[in-house]
Amino acid sequence: MAVNEKKPTPKPKKKHVEKGPNQRLRQRAAVLIIIILVIGFGAVLTRLACLTLIDGSKLQERAVGQQLRDTTLTAKRGTIYDAKGTVLAESASVWQVVMAPINFENDEQREACAKGLSDILKLDYKNVLEKTKQESYYVVVKRKIEVEQRDKVIKLQEELTKEYKCGNVITLLDDYKRYYPHDSLASCVIGFTGADEQGLEGVEYKYDSYLSGKPGRIITAINARGANMPFQYEQNVESEDGNNIYLTIDKNIQSICEKYMAEGIVNNNVLNRGVCIAMDVNTGAVLAMVTANGYNLNDPYTLPAETMEKIKELPQKEQATAESEALSAMWRNKAVADTYMPGSVFKMCTASMALEEGKITDSSSFFCGGAVTFGKDVIHCHDTGGHGSQSFVQAICNSCNPAFVQIGQLVGAEKFRDYYAGFGFAEKSGIDLPGEAEDTFWPEGQMSEVDFAVASFGQNFQITPVSMITACAAVANGGYVLQPYVVQKITDNKGNVIKNVEKKVKRQVISKETSDKMNEILGYNTETAGATAGYIAGYKVAGKTGTSEKIGVKKKLSTFDEDYIASFCGYAPADDPQIAMLVFFDTPSGGAYYGSQVSSPVFINIMSEVLPYLEVKTSYNKDELAYLDTPAGDYTGMSVADAQAAVEKDGFTATVYGMGNKVVSQIPPVSANLVSGGSIVLYTDEETKNNTKVTVPDFTGNSVVEANGLASSYGLNVSFKGAVSSGGTCSAQDVKEGTEVPAGTVVTLTFSAASSGGFND
Amino acid sequence: MAPNKKMLLRGDINRIYDDEYRAEQNAKKEKLFIRRPRQRKMKNAKWFDVGMGIDLPFCVIIFVLLTVGTIMMFSASYAFAYYTQDDSYYYLIRQLIFIGLGVAAMAVMSLFNYNKLHQVAPVVLIIAYAALLLVLLLPSGDGGVKRWIPLGMFNIQPSEIAKFAVILFFAHWCSKYYNKMQLPKFSVLPGAAVFGSIALLLFLEPHYSGIVIIGMLTVLMLYIGGMKTKYLAVGGILLIGLVLVLAVTGGLTYAMSRMDGWGQSLEYTTEEMWQTTWQTRNSLYAIGSGGLWGLGLGQSRQKYLYLPEPQNDFIFAIVVEELGLIGAAIILLIFALLVWRGITLSLRAKDKFGKLLGIGLTSQIGIQVVLNILVITDWLPNTGISLPFFSYGGSSLIMLLAQMGIVLSISRTANIERQ
Repeated sequence: MAVNEKKPTPKPKKKHVEKGPNQRLRQRAAVLIIIILVIGFGAVLTRLACLTLIDGSKLQERAVGQQLRDTTLTAKRGTIYDAKGTVLAESASVWQVVMAPINFENDEQREACAKGLSDILKLDYKNVLEKTKQESYYVVVKRKIEVEQRDKVIKLQEELTKEYKCGNVITLLDDYKRYYPHDSLASCVIGFTGADEQGLEGVEYKYDSYLSGKPGRIITAINARGANMPFQYEQNVESEDGNNIYLTIDKNIQSICEKYMAEGIVNNNVLNRGVCIAMDVNTGAVLAMVTANGYNLNDPYTLPAETMEKIKELPQKEQATAESEALSAMWRNKAVADTYMPGSVFKMCTASMALEEGKITDSSSFFCGGAVTFGKDVIHCHDTGGHGSQSFVQAICNSCNPAFVQIGQLVGAEKFRDYYAGFGFAEKSGIDLPGEAEDTFWPEGQMSEVDFAVASFGQNFQITPVSMITACAAVANGGYVLQPYVVQKITDNKGNVIKNVEKKVKRQVISKETSDKMNEILGYNTETAGATAGYIAGYKVAGKTGTSEKIGVKKKLSTFDEDYIASFCGYAPADDPQIAMLVFFDTPSGGAYYGSQVSSPVFINIMSEVLPYLEVKTSYNKDELAYLDTPAGDYTGMSVADAQAAVEKDGFTATVYGMGNKVVSQIPPVSANLVSGGSIVLYTDEETKNNTKVTVPDFTGNSVVEANGLASSYGLNVSFKGAVSSGGTCSAQDVKEGTEVPAGTVVTLTFSAASSGGFND
Repeated sequence: MAPNKKMLLRGDINRIYDDEYRAEQNAKKEKLFIRRPRQRKMKNAKWFDVGMGIDLPFCVIIFVLLTVGTIMMFSASYAFAYYTQDDSYYYLIRQLIFIGLGVAAMAVMSLFNYNKLHQVAPVVLIIAYAALLLVLLLPSGDGGVKRWIPLGMFNIQPSEIAKFAVILFFAHWCSKYYNKMQLPKFSVLPGAAVFGSIALLLFLEPHYSGIVIIGMLTVLMLYIGGMKTKYLAVGGILLIGLVLVLAVTGGLTYAMSRMDGWGQSLEYTTEEMWQTTWQTRNSLYAIGSGGLWGLGLGQSRQKYLYLPEPQNDFIFAIVVEELGLIGAAIILLIFALLVWRGITLSLRAKDKFGKLLGIGLTSQIGIQVVLNILVITDWLPNTGISLPFFSYGGSSLIMLLAQMGIVLSISRTANIERQ
């Protein structure tokens, strides 16, 4: 027992030794569990909680950003029509070739695809090959390809699928391309669009929000290769086609204007373009607006060849800048975005003010000694000898500067300024075209006596052409200053009218009486001055010429002592004004620079075609009637004697051919128009008709009387068109010189006002 | 003593054997490779021994993880399989085959008397060395790394064998010299020798995450094997020093190129870096998209080719995206239960060898889970660490299940409910 009793002490010791390792293992296993489960799993769970709960939304946003593809469905851009519904700008379906080069598996596929595409699309092979090597799902190869090219691409796709199994790489997407069927017609008004169909100039830019429509979207979930995920995850928003715009511009009037403006530019070697604006005086609708010469809207980035040549002469460094400057200059709508000095044209406004203010009576007289002196400054009259004493009407007809200085002084500088603002020069006209410029006028209190004197006849201040034509319309229409506009109506793609532009009267600046009086005076001006002042047979035209010096130009361009602006502003008919038109050429450098020489003929030519087109009532005087066309009657079937009597009764002379008793046929045919007094050829048998042929002579260059004589000597009839009685010459004939025609055939001759003759401004 | 002995249950017999052995040993004094009576007994033991039956909770946890893992593997992989293999079921079918083989292996191993592994341990280590050497002789795979031995349908990763070999060897070693583990020559020396040699071979592959895991397992085994803590601390410092030296000398070029993008996957610096961090970034996108509740099973979007190979190492990112933080937490809880149960049942194994082996094998799963998730959440550099039971992979899955079979075999001797 003693032994046993002794043992208890070592026993626990032994137990400790025995249990020790197990104890230690348990402890260490516990430590291990703590490390793995508490620290390890704890860290993991914390990290996951951070990522999902704290950074979750941010990460999800980025994930969604890469998972969703937003495909834009291009909306069809609206069409632009002219006033009569002729299409001026239209979008047509084209295609875009897009590639997903990441789907290529080997270089063989890449090369085959690059070769095919570069051949079809006429692209550089190396360039395309470079694109096929990109690790991308969306590479645009070429935009706006047409049907033929698209068909070829589809064929290429089939080939690639068959031979290389990579047809899925190329995709064709719908796209639209803007077409302008009339190329450069009304280029300054219509403007053009950029690569993404966004409007860049003109109406295309100003009305972009209406035209562009609402692009649709397809939002799809895509996998990392760009293919759709098999999800019910697609949202479609249909695209909405753009609205259609109807301009006030009439394509026919516009093309008439452009034709003669281009002619005027060439004839007078105009260096800084020209402007023509035609406006409905009663509504402010712009019927035509020309910045000559325009540019091809289908190819707006190509400069005219001469300009390019000039640019190529420049040093290499300056070429790019010069080219972009030339482009923006070409696109610039001179009629709206540029200002000019109106010159004598402005006298119609000064005269209106004086009349309205009652400062002028019929007995008012103005003296011109050839110059007016203001201290050191001398203002010359174009007639250096002086016009002497003249009435108000004469002062206008003479376009006498000293007289207008006096008229201006009668009105007074303050009133002059009020009227200047009243006519709308001090503000933007508000025309719905982009980039309208502001006027440059002396600030209040800074206009000196000389400045005022010069301003009286339209010098030394700058206004936009569009504000000048608006003021001219106000003079003509009873004093109403209108807001000019080029868009008359906007309809949606179903034809519903969204917006109808109404005439907007800003204010009445002069009374109806003053306006009537001005119409009378300006009408008288053209009537007495003839071609130089815009006289057109059959119409009462009112107008005023203008020649302004370009003051402050950096570098003189023309061959004259100074650069000039030659302008003409007028309207017709004078007794019931309907259409006003401003024509001006900036820096003519040909034979003449006076408005009466350069711009009047263009005005006359345009009006001679536009007024009949607008069906403006004619009123001929005796002289004019002589040149008027009369329709031929029906004389066939009559006996020769009866026919002759009928012909003479209708105001023609009869010539009989053949041996028969009855008239078998006649030339000209029934209701053909010919000048009264012309000869009707009556045939009594068919045989002679075929034998009596005459050769048409060259009528061009002849005056009316000469042409008439020439025609009768050849046995032909003539019909006159254009500026017949304003001293014009024949510029065109509808039957070519040297053509064999039966005797009596009517040759229509077009007369143009000559760009020469007297001048009086 | 005899009547008492009868009353004792099977588990205590070993302890008695240990005591008797120790007494015998004391009597005979030192002799290095002496055969223990138990060992003799083990040699005579049956190769297969049903024992008391496997630990049912542990087995259930394994099958739960296997089921959840397979479902998630399918969910994560079908889009990728569809686009790359033209067959959505490509990975599922293969994984199911592997699971079949793996479960069979697990069943076999659970019946296998794990004590037989005592004899096998050095052999397994030699096989591991052989495999590690063999893989270096084979032509390199993707990116110039030599990690896989192709075996037809399977690809075997020698590092997988090495992990098992290290656990097995140290379980064998430590249980054999449990009393001498205090001495550095029985703990530090073999530890350094085995880890150093394996690390060198892995370094040549290169397979840095393998080195990290082998290192961790070595330390773990020596720690529970009874090595003095101060050596552990010294070893840890040395290890850190070694990595630092390698990093400075540029020997970690491959890993560095991956580590370059570590922690900055969300910021765009260079195109190259953006591509390098593609996988990690999309993993973070997926996890972030999951939020608290997830997008729903099968609703992941990141698996549509954004996250490359979503069925492999980054599978858990898709799991979080679909099941959210809640789902991830539940799965982590199941993993934790597995580790907990594995370690506790191992502690009740009838002998040291079983205890050490069981703890080693279950801890390995815990370590892999933690490292895997830290990688996909960008807290560790992107290296190939798979997620047990979830990641697709033939050989590793079969090996994993076979190892679980061993733990089950150990559980047969550990009547855990008794305590």
